[in-house]
Amino acid sequence: MIEIINVSYAYEGRTALSDITVSISRGEAVALMGPNGSGKSTLLKLINGIVSPDSGTYKFDKEEITQKRLRNTKFSKLFHQKIGFVFQNSDTQLFCANVYDEIAFGPRQMGMGEREVEARVNDCLSLLNIESLKDRQPYHLSGGEKRKLAIACVLSMNPDVLVLDEPMNGLDPRTQRWLVEFLTELNKAGKTLITSTHNLELVQEISSRAVLFDEDHKIAADTNTKKLLENIDLLKKVNLIDEYYHRHEGNEHSHYHIHNYGHKP
Amino acid sequence: MNMPEWLSKKENYIPQADKDTFINKSIMSLLNILSRIRNTNACTAEGFHISAVLKVAFTFLLIVLISVSRSSEFIIIVIVYLISVLSSMKAYQIIKTLKVSFLISVFTIILLLPSAFLGNYYSIFMITPKVFATITAVNILSYSTSWNSITNALKVFFVPDIFILVLDITIKYIFLLGDFSLNMLYSLKLRSVGRNTSKYMSLSGIAGTMFIKSREMAEEMYSAMECRGFTGEYRAARKILFSLADIIYIIINILLIFVFCYFSVI
Repeated sequence: MIEIINVSYAYEGRTALSDITVSISRGEAVALMGPNGSGKSTLLKLINGIVSPDSGTYKFDKEEITQKRLRNTKFSKLFHQKIGFVFQNSDTQLFCANVYDEIAFGPRQMGMGEREVEARVNDCLSLLNIESLKDRQPYHLSGGEKRKLAIACVLSMNPDVLVLDEPMNGLDPRTQRWLVEFLTELNKAGKTLITSTHNLELVQEISSRAVLFDEDHKIAADTNTKKLLENIDLLKKVNLIDEYYHRHEGNEHSHYHIHNYGHKP
Repeated sequence: MNMPEWLSKKENYIPQADKDTFINKSIMSLLNILSRIRNTNACTAEGFHISAVLKVAFTFLLIVLISVSRSSEFIIIVIVYLISVLSSMKAYQIIKTLKVSFLISVFTIILLLPSAFLGNYYSIFMITPKVFATITAVNILSYSTSWNSITNALKVFFVPDIFILVLDITIKYIFLLGDFSLNMLYSLKLRSVGRNTSKYMSLSGIAGTMFIKSREMAEEMYSAMECRGFTGEYRAARKILFSLADIIYIIINILLIFVFCYFSVI
């Protein structure tokens, strides 16, 4: 479904992606992992057609995605309907007067009748458990509510692929747990999930496959998520984990520390 | 968790054509502004390593000399000097600088044409090169010096420290809010999957969110400054270390002053 072949990209001379090759099949749940600034978010932007590769090829449903191709508005709109992007900062995604209009924005543009739009909005509200927010203004919501709303307004367009940039960031543990279960259910319903995350505790639950980026903006590993998490040397090499000295019940010792990753003494 | 039926099905959707020119143009212009701010910071690192204070001071002096000079020879020498400085810069900077300088010079010629028709040829031959030289000098300063260094250099001209702080914060927030609004426009573009009959409503929504965001950021920053002991007074640090490049730059500018005096006397 998604084929990225030998793609490189640089922001004004600063490399962000270096010779990346990755392909994602329909229905897969893939996690992008790596240290800060390794190129995860850039790859997500590339998948969504926000940036175009300096070299290499990006194909979606066997069609090459280029700036020239995206200038065709019909093609571009269909492409954007098929891939939904949940931004890292939910504030950037919300611009309508109230929650209802925010979720209805996509379906209305898709030419649905107002009754169908209402049904779809209500489905999304109940799916994300935010019915009570229906008439609220998006900018007055809490961080977790905004994230749920951002997901709802993308889901209402029923995309085939859902791309999420650091969805767990800034959420409390309860909302994180809810989001993990929700994403798992979405994947079971046939949606392809591409998630960038630092949360190694939950990554195994939201993905079956992980693509690991190193600090040279290259792919260091593309394998089963569980296997990758067991490869401590590789995670240490790419600077995703570090050795952590601490004390348990008066006993000083050290072991590898993965941020947000639970451990036993 | 019960998934609605439509979410499990493939969406059978054929979009209608719509115009997105306004969003695309807004994205491009924001990208240009952000890239300009990033590039001015990168330029200083790779540039001539001349102190920003000297660059600001001598550029200001040069503009004054160009304005008061009545000698076409002096203006020609200044233009030759500026073009030789410009030739050592990057290709895109040369193109952008010359584009602006020529455009404004042409505009000046158009403005001065009526006086030329009435027989006053002197203004068109003197003012146009002066405008060209002034714009080129300012652009060279702008491309070779980061905005923050320019604001810090203002201290030499006895600009109050608090004003310099406000300028610095303004530049920082132009970048931060620019980046935020760019992401909002990207989001609007990605979510505009069909015919949007109320594009301007969405854009006004973006403007409203930006306003709220900027107010929140301002409040948070004020609180952070208070927590760090800010009481309304600010002292900008100024440290001038002269390098060889600075000394050469000073000599060149002193020579230009001599040239100005020489042509003013004869």
